[in-house]
Amino acid sequence: MSGKLLNIQGLSAGYGPLRVLHEIDFSVAAGERLAIVGLNGHGKTTLFRAIMHLVGWQQGSIVFDGTEIGGTRSLGEGRRTPGIVRLGVAMTPQGDAIFPGLTVKQHLDCGAYTKAAWRDRALRRDHVYDIFPQLKEREQAYVGKLSGGERRMVSVGRALMADAKLYLIDEPSLGLAPRISQRVVDALIDIGLDGRAMVIAEQNVALLTGKVDRMIGMHAGHLRGDVGHVDLL
Amino acid sequence: MDAGLIVYALYLAAIYGLMAIGISLLWSSVGMVNMAHGATFAFAGYAAYFAAIWAGPLAKDWLGATGWSQPALAVFIGLVAICAGALFGVVIYLVAYLTIHDKQNFPVRSLIITLALNLATVQMLLWAFGPQQKALPRVFGVGRFDWLGMSIRVDQVVTIVATTLLLGTVLVWLRHSRRGLEIRAVMQNAEGAALCGISSRKTALPIMMLTGALAGLAAVLLSQNVFVSPTAGVTPLIKGLTIALLGGLGSVPGAVAGAVLIGFIEAATGAIPFLGQRYVLFVQFTFIVCVLLIRPRGLGGLLDETRE
Repeated sequence: MSGKLLNIQGLSAGYGPLRVLHEIDFSVAAGERLAIVGLNGHGKTTLFRAIMHLVGWQQGSIVFDGTEIGGTRSLGEGRRTPGIVRLGVAMTPQGDAIFPGLTVKQHLDCGAYTKAAWRDRALRRDHVYDIFPQLKEREQAYVGKLSGGERRMVSVGRALMADAKLYLIDEPSLGLAPRISQRVVDALIDIGLDGRAMVIAEQNVALLTGKVDRMIGMHAGHLRGDVGHVDLL
Repeated sequence: MDAGLIVYALYLAAIYGLMAIGISLLWSSVGMVNMAHGATFAFAGYAAYFAAIWAGPLAKDWLGATGWSQPALAVFIGLVAICAGALFGVVIYLVAYLTIHDKQNFPVRSLIITLALNLATVQMLLWAFGPQQKALPRVFGVGRFDWLGMSIRVDQVVTIVATTLLLGTVLVWLRHSRRGLEIRAVMQNAEGAALCGISSRKTALPIMMLTGALAGLAAVLLSQNVFVSPTAGVTPLIKGLTIALLGGLGSVPGAVAGAVLIGFIEAATGAIPFLGQRYVLFVQFTFIVCVLLIRPRGLGGLLDETRE
């Protein structure tokens, strides 16, 4: 319990009559970069969405940085999400929950939700542009007009705009060409953590092999063992 | 068509535009069709009426000698109506949004609740003040002035200028402020906004107050021509709703274009001898139905496409 940034115990979640997660226990330590791997439809996304209170119903304890953000709930989807974000959890959703009619710049500004982050948002934007240089050129372009890879970069960049303690990155490679998804993943791996933590959900194990501290398999709503460093190649 | 008619058309367009933009904004950001917009209109009209009764003699006492009493009174009445509209927006927020916004079928439920709120408010106004119509003092100027050889009514020009200024300010605010950015983020993707730490409950309140304030301003401006009565909000509500539909629900430029079109149609229909005022609604609705048959997305869709 102590020293853990995120500690989940007995978490079940689902949509209506459908139960996707079956009493999951899971924890993340500060400074850790870990991956949850598994096939599509086995609950990786639901796990992230349950942490953010975006699933239909959920029960079980989620302690983030000493604060209980879990509980039992069957209504109020998304009601507590902004509060959880403000506690310091940043999530980039699967398939980019993105504002098509905002420019890249405005989009990044949306991520700077704390007062401090909003004040020096220009600085933080530059920091994001350092990581993804091609966004700089497209600063004034509407996000809806960008390519899939650029949109993913905007989505990740938005999560980096405020001082989150935990990054949840959902399927960074989804729908991208192999070369581009490799670039996005490399950028994610290069982001310095110092005391923060990052969880990446990914179905393409080869992309992350040897690059993360831990790998956990997910199958049919259960977490299956700590795979640790795997080297498939 | 002479200049007087054009000014009259723009005057109507200004007032309908205030209503339609409010309805359109609320639909696109919060996702509710606000049937209580008419009640907001009537409520603000009564607030303006009582403000005028209370402040009229005061203004005459203090400022009568300087000649500034009329403009001061006009500004005061306008502010009271705007505040009353915003206050009513808060009531709608508390009753029809906060209670049900994350439950199923929110658009239909909120439609029913706001409709009920509308009917209840009209009945309450009837019960409190009776069915008599009240006339606001004509504080926005009386008479006409000549411009390029044509006579133009002062109050209509004041209305057009005031509306344009206010709407312009609101649209600039929406485009450039942080709150405006948040509102547009929620409009485009509520879940994405939540993941950015933007609470849709916190952004809904200012937008409801804003649309209420616009309805309040419309009330005091229209009351220069039409009397204040409990049912005064019905026609503006219907016209605002249909113009919002015509413009493509959710599109502010579309609502502006729709308001101007409808304003001109109303002015022109009234001026054609064999049609006259009686046929205004008929012609308007026929026009709207025709446009929507050809273009179900409304005018706003058209503008969005050409922009690309």
